[in-house]
Amino acid sequence: MADETDAHTDGAVAIDLRQVTRRFGDKVAVNDLSLSIPRGELFAFLGPNGAGKTTTIKMIVGLLRPTAGSVGVCGHCMSVDGLPARAQLAYVPDQPFLYDKLTGLEFLYFVAEMYRVSDADRDRAIAELTARFDMAEFLDHLTETYSHGMKQKVVLAAALLHDPAVLIVDEPMVGLDPRTARQVKNIFVERTRHGGAVFITTHTLEVAEAVADRIGIIHEGRLIALGTLDDLRTRARRQQSLEDIFLQLTEPEHEWGV
Amino acid sequence: MNGVSESTVFEPVGVATLLRAKGRALVNHGRAVLAESPVKVLATIGFVLLIWAGLYGLFREVFYLFEANHLVGAVAIPLVFGFFFVALLVLLTFSNAILAYSSLFSRDEAAYLLTAPLSPRTVVAVKYLEVLFFSSWSLILLGLPLMLAVARSTGEPRVFCPLFVAFFLSFVPIPGAAGLITAWFTARFLPRNLRKSAVAVLSVGALIAVVWGLRAIHLIEDEGGNWLDTFLFRMDFVQSALLPSSWITKGIDHAMHARLHPAFMYLLLTVANTLFLSWLAVVFTADRLFPALDRASTGRGGAARLPAKASGGALGAVFFYLPRSVKLIAVKDLRTYLRDPLQWSQLAILFGLMGLYLLNMPRFQVEFFSERWALLVPMLNFGAVGFILATFTSRFVFPLVSLEGHQFWLIGLLPMERRDLLWAKFAFAMTVSVVVSVGAMALATIVLKIVFVWAVVHLAITFATCVGLCGLSVGIGARMPMFKQRNTARIASGFGGTVNLIASVALVIVVLAGFGALSWRAYEKQLQTSPDVFTWLGVVGVIVLACSAGMSAMRMGVTHLNRLEA
Repeated sequence: MADETDAHTDGAVAIDLRQVTRRFGDKVAVNDLSLSIPRGELFAFLGPNGAGKTTTIKMIVGLLRPTAGSVGVCGHCMSVDGLPARAQLAYVPDQPFLYDKLTGLEFLYFVAEMYRVSDADRDRAIAELTARFDMAEFLDHLTETYSHGMKQKVVLAAALLHDPAVLIVDEPMVGLDPRTARQVKNIFVERTRHGGAVFITTHTLEVAEAVADRIGIIHEGRLIALGTLDDLRTRARRQQSLEDIFLQLTEPEHEWGV
Repeated sequence: MNGVSESTVFEPVGVATLLRAKGRALVNHGRAVLAESPVKVLATIGFVLLIWAGLYGLFREVFYLFEANHLVGAVAIPLVFGFFFVALLVLLTFSNAILAYSSLFSRDEAAYLLTAPLSPRTVVAVKYLEVLFFSSWSLILLGLPLMLAVARSTGEPRVFCPLFVAFFLSFVPIPGAAGLITAWFTARFLPRNLRKSAVAVLSVGALIAVVWGLRAIHLIEDEGGNWLDTFLFRMDFVQSALLPSSWITKGIDHAMHARLHPAFMYLLLTVANTLFLSWLAVVFTADRLFPALDRASTGRGGAARLPAKASGGALGAVFFYLPRSVKLIAVKDLRTYLRDPLQWSQLAILFGLMGLYLLNMPRFQVEFFSERWALLVPMLNFGAVGFILATFTSRFVFPLVSLEGHQFWLIGLLPMERRDLLWAKFAFAMTVSVVVSVGAMALATIVLKIVFVWAVVHLAITFATCVGLCGLSVGIGARMPMFKQRNTARIASGFGGTVNLIASVALVIVVLAGFGALSWRAYEKQLQTSPDVFTWLGVVGVIVLACSAGMSAMRMGVTHLNRLEA
């Protein structure tokens, strides 16, 4: 299990993974992963299906415990001091969760209350997010009637409602129309400019290429590449797209050399 | 945008916030149901009233019987209550365990809440209260008719009724707490593939526990002159001071006789234990929640299955009479059904109970009852089989077409007629239904030593009922599908599902009435061994009626499916 004496006291580091390993029986899903994401950074976490991305996210948000190593969020160890850590993050899974029998607005009120957002801040944030995500027409309907894209908008709005220091989004663009996708990218960038950290996983490499400050590529549980897009290009020893780099690094015969 | 929060001191909200949201959702749900399908509400109220009336009549008869003999009543009433609450304790523990497991370990909601700044104790406490809320059906369905039946026997109904409700409410959390800890244990220690099997194992265990208790009653027949001593000795476990059920049994007994001090003593004993056990279950589960959640969401069992080719061959043999394309879909449905113990275990429990009852029937010595009883028992058997079958087809067969929704484009492109899809569903439903229901009725005819010709009539009418019920469920399922819904329970409880349930129950009632009328006429005219022409015409009429109901629904479903755009 994780060494609970590990100190994650540096509040400037938004997400701090230290030699994190996670096993499921004989399978090593995440292998000795160390990663530090400072505040103000937009980090894109890439990898093929089953590489360990979602397992890593679940450890960051506290749903899974590392078999070895430790996870810190904003200076709090997730295993020891989870509550203040969770108060500072927001997580949007790839399959958005909503209460079917609440309206979108009722769900946003509920989330605001959970995060102790004041009524004035809540109303202002909801008004702003409703306009940005173009949600006014359906926010009063029960969420069970929403399309995937509508659900994604409400869940993203709920995640942003309490102004989290760390935003973690698994496949943020799935189901979103181009206008909303652009809004979401803009919001991610704005958040990092205001000192927040954004951690996304995506298979849409153009998104990572366009907005990420740094990119990490995980393959078979190991972090095989980490750096800016230029760093990765340098490592690949030629100018090429992120897609080419990704395919080159994750092809079965590739020797990682890290 | 606000500045990003820097606060590290966070006071989490309590259960009230979550309960308010759930209350809001419940109100919205009630409004939506009322607005969308008032028929469903009326049907539900009608069924509940019907069950209430039936239970009230049953309890009333039992207490009337006991009142006739004070000595028997003095011994039997505490025993009846004892059995009732022991059975309730076992069944509620089991159902609460399933509810708690599904609520805490297999739904997205718990994972969502646990990523929010909430204490795990808050999440578990809310889930526990939710489970208790859903298990309160026992109070509404079973408790109220029992209370009203007993209240008529007591001289102080104004004292008895509030005390009874208080006893019932203070009792319900005890199996709830046991269920919560059982769910945690299952998630924490059982390998994942075993977990579903454990549901079946627990079901059978619960069943055996209840049957074990009930079987002791039959000892009356075997123990000659000392039967009462032996019987009371064997029944002693029901009144064990350690069983919560015995506290409320004794408390209710005191309340019935307006002995308020001892009644309140038992009430306080129950309340104290309920509060302690609830606290213990919530704290124990919450403080150990993450390892269990971890294992539940990621554990991998190693249960080996037959290779697809081998199992396909074996299951394909069951549908030897079907064309290849239809057989493929029927095999797929049967394989899916057999791999989900939550589905087959429910049918296994119901027909298992039926089988145990039938095997124990010789002990009832029906032949020594009046001839009317001897006539009534086969009718009751057929009624039980028919209603269980209607439940099965409404819950599991009706959603089959809707569940193809996401693959409908694939079905639409397959080189097969769409009607073949429905016939495949029908073949699958018939296979399961005929095996269990005709099998149960065959056992009943053997046990009751029914003459051959009437045994054939029983089995033919049961088969025709299978055709009717399966046809109704598949046909109405295709006529009123919910292609966007993946949850079978929601499909079954939607408007189409309600229509199908009402139609299925109506069909069983009509067939039962027709069958009963024919049997009664045979009894009146002494035709038990050689039915006359009119009887045969009546039998054919009932069979044609049942089959036509199913086939009409199938035709309606095929027509609608052919019109649908993929």
